[in-house]
Amino acid sequence: MQSLVIDRVRSYALPLLVLIVTWAIIASSTPTFRGEASVFSVLEGFPLLGLIALGLAITIIAGELDLSVGSMAALAGVVAVKAGELGLLGAIGVAVAVGATIGAAQGWIIARLAINSLVLTIGTLILLRGVAHLASDNAPSQLADFTVSDPLIERYSIFSPSSITALVVFAVLGLFLAYTRYGREIYAIGGAREEARAAGVPRSRPMVLAFALSGACAALAGALASLKGGSAAPQNYADMLLAGAAAALIGGISLYGGKGTVIHVALGVAVLSAVAAGLAARGSDASVTQLVTGALLITVVATEFIAARLSRRARLRREAARHELPPTTTAPT
Amino acid sequence: MSTALVVGAVVVAVAVAVAITPNFLSVDNVRAILRNAAIVGIVAVAMTPITLSGNFISLGTQQSAMAAMVLFIALVGTGWAPAAAIAVVLVALVAVGVIQGLVVAAGLNPVITTLAAGAIIFGVVADATDGQIVRVGEHAVSWGNSTIAGVPLEVLVFLLFTIAVGTFMTKSVSGREMILAGANRETAEVSGISFRRVTIGAFVIFSIGLAIAGVLTGAGFGEATIQSLSTLTIDSLAAILVGGTAITGGYGSPWRSAGGAVLIAVISNVMVLNDFSTGGRLAVQGAVVVVVVILLELLRRRGEVR
Repeated sequence: MQSLVIDRVRSYALPLLVLIVTWAIIASSTPTFRGEASVFSVLEGFPLLGLIALGLAITIIAGELDLSVGSMAALAGVVAVKAGELGLLGAIGVAVAVGATIGAAQGWIIARLAINSLVLTIGTLILLRGVAHLASDNAPSQLADFTVSDPLIERYSIFSPSSITALVVFAVLGLFLAYTRYGREIYAIGGAREEARAAGVPRSRPMVLAFALSGACAALAGALASLKGGSAAPQNYADMLLAGAAAALIGGISLYGGKGTVIHVALGVAVLSAVAAGLAARGSDASVTQLVTGALLITVVATEFIAARLSRRARLRREAARHELPPTTTAPT
Repeated sequence: MSTALVVGAVVVAVAVAVAITPNFLSVDNVRAILRNAAIVGIVAVAMTPITLSGNFISLGTQQSAMAAMVLFIALVGTGWAPAAAIAVVLVALVAVGVIQGLVVAAGLNPVITTLAAGAIIFGVVADATDGQIVRVGEHAVSWGNSTIAGVPLEVLVFLLFTIAVGTFMTKSVSGREMILAGANRETAEVSGISFRRVTIGAFVIFSIGLAIAGVLTGAGFGEATIQSLSTLTIDSLAAILVGGTAITGGYGSPWRSAGGAVLIAVISNVMVLNDFSTGGRLAVQGAVVVVVVILLELLRRRGEVR
């Protein structure tokens, strides 16, 4: 039990180190990235990038990958802006309901057919993008009444209504995943699907839940961002798949499924938000952010891979020593 | 059985298309369809060995093909002979592909590796071009939009490339090793097949295809930006999936991906001729992918002997 806790804490060490280092580099090279302003801009990454990364992370934990999150966010943005007359909460509610429903349907198909999620979500990535265009009449949609989204523009020191919403969702889903039966089932099918099924985890429920949450998170992200801007273009958020996956993996969500917590996601999101804020403050192009994101992603994933391999080798060596087998290193090679 | 399904679907699609679209079977329109299918088809065919060998897909396709296109145009625009430019593009693309292949063969997830590599390539090209349009200027490539006996150049290349990759996968030892490695990695390794060599080989074929696609579009258009070929990743994946190659590897063929690309081009063409909007076209294309993928999965399961 104690070693489990130590493992958990250790798994936060690498992303935390990456966060501290990137933060230090950006703060020292960017005069505007200081104090309250820096924390505010990093937290502002949570409503869009953070929520998308969170949903994506849940599907990765379930051993799958939801490639449709960008299209889902775009569709939800259009839906929310079109539903503006229902008021702010109503518009967000409708968009999230649409996202959760479509996501649940995807999860159900994946579970029932035991189909690879990459295959299905490439299809829905295209399909939902098309539906977003149709829902928006192939042109950007605008809020009929811009005062609807006024509450979203408030700011309370380092927080905004959007970032508070996102952080609440992080907390609620974190507790749900860690402490409820339904949440643990998502870890179970991601870590060892056959064993989980043999142990009585239902076939569809965790998968439906994981993709419904992914759809709902992406939809909330798209709705918040689009309502705040007052308009939604159906071609938005296509590059959020890279950013979301990068945030989740940089934070330390394991690509092999069954491992990782919302704290990992939050750390990864903070790293990428800091990078984006720092680069934007220096007037860099969005393409530079992509470059840095890609480089960070591959570095962190490779580091983790090598570290896992080294620690496995060390463990094997320890076990060999414990069984009084001659350690493999004694023989000259 | 599912080969028959793909062929059948193409036949039905063509039949319906002809029935509702008067100008569909004109020579010009057929040429336009094949031209649209060619670039996506070349890339889909080239990616199929990656999928067949158990390395899933590349999510960095557009970026690499766009880089090839920009590089080719930039070289030709500064006075290089097209043949020399093609050689440089090929070497550059294969080098980038081999690096990705090495990383993937070491055990890193191919989807994430190619996604990250794509972002890096995109950033590098954006930085190098300053996001501006790159043009050939007065050095336009003479064979850019040429046709041979009425067949557009890229269609001919698509055909030859499909024959080459298709034959390689089924008739050569290396090709069959790729399929075996995708069907059952453990068995393949026990039989002495190196997963690293297979993976690198698949990435080399993929890179050659990307280079060809980039050169052909570059020669045809004479200009490029970082946004060029922006739908290539999704379109080529759709072609592979509609063709029925299993994403987990071991089952499928480059021929199927070529068929998938033609099928999607036919459907797109019918929608364009019938004045579908962007959204309508995307929605139908996505729906076709979803339905075909589900149908193939159900068929495959029924055909499985257990």
